[in-house]
Amino acid sequence: MAKGLPKSFKKALWVYHCNSGSCNGCDIEIIAALCPRYDVERFGIRLVGSPRHADVLLITGPVTRQMEDKVKRIYEQMPDPKAVICVGNCGNTGDVFYESYNLVGPVDNVIPVDIHVIGCPPRPEAIINAVVKAWVKLETLEAKK
Amino acid sequence: MKEKTTTKTTYQIPIGPVHPALKEPVMFEFEIDGERIVDVDVSLGQVHRTVEWTGMQRNPIQILYLAERICGICSYCHPAAFTRAVENVLDIEVPERAGYLRVIQGELERICSHLLWAGVAAHEIGFDSVLYLTWQMREKAMDLTEYLTGNRVTKAIMAIGGVRRDITKDMLPTVNETLDYFKDNFEKLRHVFLDDKTVRIRSQGCGVLTKKDALKLCAVGPTTRASGVKKDVRVDQGYFAYGDLDVDYVTPDVITGEINGDVYDRIIVRLLEVKQSVELIEQCIDKMPAGDITSEPKIPKLLAKIKKTAGEGIGRHEAPRGEVIHYVKFDGKNENPYTWKVRAPTYNNILPWIPMLKGEQIADIPIVAASTDPCMSCTNRVAVVHKNKKTMLDKEELHRLSIEKTRRLTR
Amino acid sequence: MTKEKKLSPEQIVKSFKDEFKTEIKDTRIEKRKSGSKKNEYVNIWMRADKSVFKNVIKHLMVLQEYPHLAVTSGSDMGKTIELIYHFSIYYGNRNQEVSLNIAVEVPKSNPTIETVSDLIPGAVITEREKQEMLGVKIKGIPDNRRVFLPDDFPEGVYPWRKDETGPKKMVRNLHEVKK
Repeated sequence: MAKGLPKSFKKALWVYHCNSGSCNGCDIEIIAALCPRYDVERFGIRLVGSPRHADVLLITGPVTRQMEDKVKRIYEQMPDPKAVICVGNCGNTGDVFYESYNLVGPVDNVIPVDIHVIGCPPRPEAIINAVVKAWVKLETLEAKK
Repeated sequence: MKEKTTTKTTYQIPIGPVHPALKEPVMFEFEIDGERIVDVDVSLGQVHRTVEWTGMQRNPIQILYLAERICGICSYCHPAAFTRAVENVLDIEVPERAGYLRVIQGELERICSHLLWAGVAAHEIGFDSVLYLTWQMREKAMDLTEYLTGNRVTKAIMAIGGVRRDITKDMLPTVNETLDYFKDNFEKLRHVFLDDKTVRIRSQGCGVLTKKDALKLCAVGPTTRASGVKKDVRVDQGYFAYGDLDVDYVTPDVITGEINGDVYDRIIVRLLEVKQSVELIEQCIDKMPAGDITSEPKIPKLLAKIKKTAGEGIGRHEAPRGEVIHYVKFDGKNENPYTWKVRAPTYNNILPWIPMLKGEQIADIPIVAASTDPCMSCTNRVAVVHKNKKTMLDKEELHRLSIEKTRRLTR
Repeated sequence: MTKEKKLSPEQIVKSFKDEFKTEIKDTRIEKRKSGSKKNEYVNIWMRADKSVFKNVIKHLMVLQEYPHLAVTSGSDMGKTIELIYHFSIYYGNRNQEVSLNIAVEVPKSNPTIETVSDLIPGAVITEREKQEMLGVKIKGIPDNRRVFLPDDFPEGVYPWRKDETGPKKMVRNLHEVKK
């Protein structure tokens, strides 16, 4: 963790996962990060069932037209301070789905993204690295207040 | 939403597109009377990424990479069915060694997928510790996948005419070590799922699909085998190297002696298939002949051949969830296919949800929906419309209802 | 269910031709081999006229009580739309399944065809998909809603067609940089 920052999120960071039309590869790696092999729960990171309880949002998938307003609503329901992590190539650039009539675009076009994790799918270690960076960012935001 | 005259006691619940039991966005609408479900309506489409249209603009080698990303859990079966279809059109003969290698990769993926499902199903009943146990076992299979192909999830091992990587003699000790691990731990897995009283109470008699319904609605995969219908593309059509191996239909009467078609039977079928997959991989390693791994290693030559051929073909494969079918048509002037049709197995298993869920309780929705192993992503919430008021039951609430029922039953 | 006598592929084709005479055209039987023991599997293709289509399906149900409808695929052939129904029969015993593919052509000026969902209830979703993707109207279908496309997708745009009603104006390239 960054030194000298007050530890507001010292004990726990709650994460909400949303799938906006992905193939599930990234979702499986996110859940694999919680399992005993990689085990992020020992750091206090836990997956919650509602965006109103969450600090960090994990988004996967290129956004389909049906899911566009739902993604926006989830973002608005999260309380401040929040961070958004976009996991997987689909959400970052479109990857293999770069040309289609039903996709709204990379997640950037819908909600502001703080951290991009690339890979198809990214390994669980990369996802944990991203969540740690989000943690540092949130601590920095709290310290600025 | 359908216009329905609601009586005093029935009300409608739309669920979705984000749902706890499913991995993909799917929208249900239930009509509820008290705690019982009276009618079900399903609507799909939230994950429509226009794969087929995109595929028609690309050449077959690019389509292989696109097909892999249709689904992350069964990411091997779509390229497998597609290459079967293209090989059907071009009448390419695949070398024997490639057929055996393809079987090994397919069965390895089946093990990973069924263990994943076992963990998710246990999570829906409320046994989180079983989720961790099965996913820990699954990590061993993922390690083996990474050793053989280079990646955990999207493997890129299929090529038109064969496979891309070989399994050499020095790789065999690692493979045998993983297989021994599964053989030793299969008994633990079976004991956790099948001998536990709570699992039995929650799952027996719940979500029943009769044999006649399974036949009429054209269900596929373990869902239909658990109802007693013998449908399995590996046994019906001996493709790749399955015709040489000792493979049979897996139905639940091997363990219990009777077939009910409920959630418990589906658990039995999937666990027995894990055992069958381990045995199939062992048979393959014993019988694998030497030879080439692909019939046409030079890709430009292959594409030139495709450009000149006109014809149509279908390719079917038994994915962990059921039958996958791809249809391809070439017109002889371009190398892009003129038509490409993909049908993932879950689309045939959606209509059976309707007879399975009628008469069940709300708290049983997660486990019944998860028992068909839908290859779809989770969605968010359930809205309960009671007369004119609307209350939102979100994912936590539905999951909590399911766990509370388990607690009530174990008291 | 497998109590019916199993016909060989040539006998199956002959039974269709005897019943429907000239309305069945372009039949071919493909046999392919795989594996070390060279096991054979069979694909039968045939083309049926639109007028006898429903009776062809009923004849198929005499051969197998519950044929397995895998999917229906559709192609835009210029003036007509070709729908192919992919069935498989004789499942349940080792290496005996036969894949049967029946093609039907409907003209674009009158793209209607009858539903088979009263005979095979599992066909509803795939028929709905053809309605929205190709603009085919299916008579008698119990459920008329869209399956995959969003509700606000414009009417009259059919994604799989290659003519002017295709989705060209809806296509977006995600890699383009917004200025």
